[in-house]
Amino acid sequence: MAKTILIVDDSASIRQVVKIALTGAGYEVVEAVDGMDALKKLDGRKINLVISDVNMPNLDGIGFVKQLKQKSGYQFTPVIMLTTESEADKMRQGKEAGAKAWVVKPFQPAQMLAAVSKLIQP
Amino acid sequence: MPHNSPELAAALRTFAEESGELLEAMASHLRALLEGDEDMERLHALFRAAHTIKGAGGMFGLEAVVGFTHLVENLLSRLRDGHQPLTPALLELLMDCRDQMEDLLKEALDDGGAAADPALAARSDSLGARLQAALGSDGGTVANAEATTPAQPPTVVLAPVADEDVELERVEADTWHLSLRFSPGVLREGMDPISFLRYLESVGRIVHITTLVDNLPEAEVMDPLNCYFGFEIELESERDKDAIEAVFDFVRDDCQLRLLPPHSRIADYIALIQDLPEGQDRLGEMLVAANALTRQELELGLTHQRQLAGQAQVPLGEILIAEGMTHPPVVEAALDRQAQAKGRPGKDKGNESQFVRVHAEKLDELINLVGELVIAGAASHLLARGRRDRRAQEAALTVNRLVEQVRDVTLKLRMVEIGETFNRFHRVVRELGRDLGKDIALDITGAETELDKSMVEKLGDPLMHLVRNAIDHGLEPPEQRLAAGKPERGRVRLNAYHDSGGIVIEIGDDGRGLDRERILARARERGLIAEDETPADPELYALIFEPGFSTAQTVTSVSGRGVGMDVVKKTIAALRGTVEIDTVLGAGTTIRLRLPLTLAIIEGFLVRVENVPFVLPLESVRECIALSATSATDRRQYVNLRGEVLPYLRLRDLFALGGTPPRRENIVVVRHQGNRVGVVVDQLQGELQTVIKPLGRLFRGMRGLSGSSILGSGEVALILDVATLAEIATSRDHNRGGTAAQLQQGAQACSTQ
Repeated sequence: MAKTILIVDDSASIRQVVKIALTGAGYEVVEAVDGMDALKKLDGRKINLVISDVNMPNLDGIGFVKQLKQKSGYQFTPVIMLTTESEADKMRQGKEAGAKAWVVKPFQPAQMLAAVSKLIQP
Repeated sequence: MPHNSPELAAALRTFAEESGELLEAMASHLRALLEGDEDMERLHALFRAAHTIKGAGGMFGLEAVVGFTHLVENLLSRLRDGHQPLTPALLELLMDCRDQMEDLLKEALDDGGAAADPALAARSDSLGARLQAALGSDGGTVANAEATTPAQPPTVVLAPVADEDVELERVEADTWHLSLRFSPGVLREGMDPISFLRYLESVGRIVHITTLVDNLPEAEVMDPLNCYFGFEIELESERDKDAIEAVFDFVRDDCQLRLLPPHSRIADYIALIQDLPEGQDRLGEMLVAANALTRQELELGLTHQRQLAGQAQVPLGEILIAEGMTHPPVVEAALDRQAQAKGRPGKDKGNESQFVRVHAEKLDELINLVGELVIAGAASHLLARGRRDRRAQEAALTVNRLVEQVRDVTLKLRMVEIGETFNRFHRVVRELGRDLGKDIALDITGAETELDKSMVEKLGDPLMHLVRNAIDHGLEPPEQRLAAGKPERGRVRLNAYHDSGGIVIEIGDDGRGLDRERILARARERGLIAEDETPADPELYALIFEPGFSTAQTVTSVSGRGVGMDVVKKTIAALRGTVEIDTVLGAGTTIRLRLPLTLAIIEGFLVRVENVPFVLPLESVRECIALSATSATDRRQYVNLRGEVLPYLRLRDLFALGGTPPRRENIVVVRHQGNRVGVVVDQLQGELQTVIKPLGRLFRGMRGLSGSSILGSGEVALILDVATLAEIATSRDHNRGGTAAQLQQGAQACSTQ
């Protein structure tokens, strides 16, 4: 069974690009528009990897990861944060929250795939 | 090869120059090593030179050069790191390889588009096989396996993947070593170690992996959510340290990673460190800049240093080595570089900028303009003198003095040391000696003697011929030498020095010397000397420069090549030089070339006949005497000069200038190759320094003239060729150089040039 990746970003185009790349590589993709939406989308389903933006309305990436790590069944789910170079502080916060991997925006689909494949393989 | 853009073509030219210099440097280091100067720095320099040629050559896609140089670099790297002792045989091999690199570069850079010379490629292959064999003589089975397949020159940094069974041999030497210890909590972070190891394959090939289970506790205390594994990994990768480390960037906080580069990289790191620009003098920064250390490792190392600071001051270098982040030689190289940067503030830095590359054409133009300036200065000086205006005269004098200084400095700009030209003969001597079965040493002295660049270029061929001649005809075969009680090893000597405003170049050998009797016999045979005549040595020996004059009993492959001795003499004469021969039968021959320092300017002596100005080269002028009607025997044309016979000739007659001689004529005594002759003129006008202009076409066929010059007054003066004048005067052959009409036309041609 294909592995499932949850992509959380308020930008539709970013979700689109990432989805194309990931489905092309053989992953199932679940989309969420912000942290709140993401928590809802979990719905007890098996998620192998989460890719989350930091700055989002309603519930931002840091808050989302913190809550994710509290949820049973998702403590050990790896998280890739989408950060920018200037967000060193956010990155530190994200790491503290439990998101150990990151991809710096703007990124090429190939960079995203490389980061993903360090953590899981399809 | 394609060089479709002018930028690339320009870069390629720079590369051609750069590689030429590097090859020269390699040659001189190799020679020094061969002569027993076993300075490690020479090996470093050799390696760097090969490394740069390979690297830059790769940029231009010169694959033949890169592939071959790569092998040379490998050997040099092993020698430098002390993995293999430097033997004379290896030095010889390296010499040959250097020569081959030179030839390969020449072929690659020659954009004539000529097809690759198969002989050259074949030589690359055979030398490559020898290099491989040399590498293998100490390095196990790998090289042997490759030595048998020289047809496949490696063109990449890492050796091509070989057969399975030799692979294991390679493991130790040429792989990255990764030492990986995951922290127990890594799984809880959602990180799967296996996933990273899989991803590692994307940057290289995992040759070997050892899983360490030492930390695995007893089953009852083991937490299945913990990771207890460590891994030792041998990775074959062409990527740099940063790229490999980046594989683990997401688990950097949850693992200990030690990344030790392959041994083959050490050389690269050291070279990079040595090539670092000035200004970086912090060890860690240097290592990071050379890619020998990643920034993460540096920070880790610095943290450790701070932690230890309480107990003792531990140098960062030691920590980095202890942590297994880098190799000791790399740290040493960085420390050396650091010491260099600190020890020589400014000096080294300045070195680069002390030289400016200027196109030779620009220099020629400058020299030409300075020549014009000299003439214009002389004109204004003449004018000021005529004015009887003290202030104008003084101003003109100052200007003239400055012009002279400018001229001297300008001429110096084009002066180059003759050493580079001399050094080229090491190869000639070695190769020729080998071909002819003679053991020959080349001694070079006076390499620092400077002369005009244009002169140096024209001297190449005649020197080549003279050296070949010395080796082929001068030096005896070893058995003859031994029989004659001489050392088996022959010596060829190149020497240069400045002498009275000119340069003297000597080409000597300690061979058999010229055989006077044989030359005399041959000269008589050819009718150059009458049967009853016995000329003095210098005259007789000068005959070897006659066209077709050869006393060689056997013709070898060598004597057929290059220019003949008569061409040597012509070339030297065209450079306003002379050739002398010193020889002792059985002890050797020295050929001495005497040349002016520059072709652009002549120190002359101005004379006039029928008010036509002529210039004699000052270095040939000995004295001036009055020609009284009584002392001359006009029919025989010689005078009694202090008891000696001085033949003379009249320029008035030679050039058919007509008119009547004044009551009092003068003789300028000039000397050419030991001969003194008189040149009869109307007026003596003294010394002058003047710029030489080539003769117009009309004058080409005329005897007795070598050039022209424009005087301050604007007049065209003809520069006399003393050699021809001496010949005419002594042979009484007044075969007129030309008619007055021709002379007039020629002068006009010159002045309109």
